[in-house]
Amino acid sequence: MPIASRIALALLLPALLVNMAVFLLPMGNLALLSFRQANEGGALLEGITLATWAKMFGDIFYAELVRDSVVIALAITGLTLLCSYPIALFIHRAPDRWKNMLVVMCISPLLVSAVVRTYGWMVILGDGGIIAAFLRWLGMVKAPRMVFNTTGVVVGLTEILMPYMILALIAGFGRLNTSLEEAAASLGAKPFTVFRRVVLPLTLPGIMLGCLLAFVLAVSSFITPKLLGGGRVFLLATEIYDQAIVTLNWPVAAALSIVVLVIFGFALTLYGRLARAVA
Amino acid sequence: MILTRRRILAASATTLAMPYVARAQQASITLAAYSGIFQDNYEPAVVETFRRANPGIKVTYFSMGNSAQALGQLRAQKANPQVDLVMMDVSVAKAASDEGLFEPVTAAQVPAIADLSPRAFTPGVTAPAVTFDNLVLLYSPQRVQPAPTSWKVFWEEKYKDQIAISGVPDIVGLGFLMMANKVFGGDDYRRLDKGFEAVGNMAPNVLSWDPKPDAYTMITQGTASLGVGWNARGQIYSDQSGGRMAAILPSEGALFQINVLGLVKGAKNYDASRAFMNHALGAEAQAAFTEKMFYAPVNTKAKVSDAALARTASSAERQAMMLPVDWLEVAKFREGVTEQWRRRILTRR
Repeated sequence: MPIASRIALALLLPALLVNMAVFLLPMGNLALLSFRQANEGGALLEGITLATWAKMFGDIFYAELVRDSVVIALAITGLTLLCSYPIALFIHRAPDRWKNMLVVMCISPLLVSAVVRTYGWMVILGDGGIIAAFLRWLGMVKAPRMVFNTTGVVVGLTEILMPYMILALIAGFGRLNTSLEEAAASLGAKPFTVFRRVVLPLTLPGIMLGCLLAFVLAVSSFITPKLLGGGRVFLLATEIYDQAIVTLNWPVAAALSIVVLVIFGFALTLYGRLARAVA
Repeated sequence: MILTRRRILAASATTLAMPYVARAQQASITLAAYSGIFQDNYEPAVVETFRRANPGIKVTYFSMGNSAQALGQLRAQKANPQVDLVMMDVSVAKAASDEGLFEPVTAAQVPAIADLSPRAFTPGVTAPAVTFDNLVLLYSPQRVQPAPTSWKVFWEEKYKDQIAISGVPDIVGLGFLMMANKVFGGDDYRRLDKGFEAVGNMAPNVLSWDPKPDAYTMITQGTASLGVGWNARGQIYSDQSGGRMAAILPSEGALFQINVLGLVKGAKNYDASRAFMNHALGAEAQAAFTEKMFYAPVNTKAKVSDAALARTASSAERQAMMLPVDWLEVAKFREGVTEQWRRRILTRR
């Protein structure tokens, strides 16, 4: 083995060992746990069984749970992209001396914990909040419920994920150059055509990275759906919590955690394929 | 005395060893129990009095968020337990008992056990009860008028979007469902059809089936006006709320919840742990904790003031109002109930 490779391997070793100890081993343990079985009171029974997995594949509830989680996460990803793209584009085009301050402004919400921000949304979207007050002022007798349901979860998570999306978009906007847009315009392209044929293709790497990040964070999010869902929104993470903490069925919780990991795997593979296709 | 090198060495060796000799005589035990307001009251009423009476035993209070977390600790530490005594809900304790995580205790080892109410022992659970609690109706005295006396207040249309209840599979939700079943004509808590129908009808009026941080706070803050909770916390929080939240036992009664105190199998210090258990289950500590936090005592000899007793469900007539629920029986059909809940209750908008 050439010396350079050996040094590289030696440098990788500490990270590898840490990953083994704190990630791979517990994941293996989790996978193993999903092949155990719990009795109706939650006690773990001896032996290895496929019963938990069989139950999960046989029960339509789990299929719906996975479908709903993915659909809601995709919706949140799409909304986050829509809200973040103009901001990211604006920051990218801003003069250099403003750029840093604008970036800091965008990521400053991360200084406040997601729990606190979620409670904030509970107040804003609640019956006594400003949106309900505004709708009443417009003459609506009873404002629609905007919190403790899917609407609340989507709104809350979209705002919480926006800083990540903005950062990913800005990082991916490297190839976007104002002179290219000017060139397109000088050749007679209308603004929308410039956007569609020049800006969008050049920013695609950033869009894909941001979407991957937002999707992975949304599909695994726990605290915001738990607080804003009002017990009506079932997502993978909240169901894992219920199975592990409330009904004490650890094998089902473990199996669902593996399902989340598989979804991550699919998302990463898809991202890899698309990234190569774009490049 | 002439100082020689040998004498100095011998003297310093003795001095250095002293703390270790003293420490060897001092036993050390760890109690795992609930955090927050429970710990705030349990520490002074029970743990501190034990420390004063037994200076030779060091007690560490290890706070846990909930019973499932405690079970997780016991499972993870099975080979080498770091906790000696653990407090948890009786249905979780059943799982721990089935897995052999508790060392059984007898009245010969812990004399206080002889004085406990018969309800303190659950077949199949190798740990005696340490607190009794019961479901209560929580309401805002400002917004719910006249003051409710019946569970039926939840079905009044004027409280639409003002109701916060932890839904099934949480045991508050299970308890509420069983009470609804009883109030609307069901005579067996194992057949919940009447309950499902009734709760289904009021489900669209519920603001949240998962109140955060909890139903007590949501009512105190004014986000909700009606809820369901536990008596002990309900009493404490209503005192703290300055009249913005009250807890009552409705006329149709409620049901009991039991916390047990288990001795962890393989714990380092059985003797000291049993001594603590004897204190915690004893008449004095039981009475002291009831005075402070209004859990009904498990010890029949506990002398509690009338004022405190009136705020628990331990009087004979109130006990008679309780739905006799066997939580181990409930554990058997809980999964089916959870499924029905999702299909019949949460789909109602």
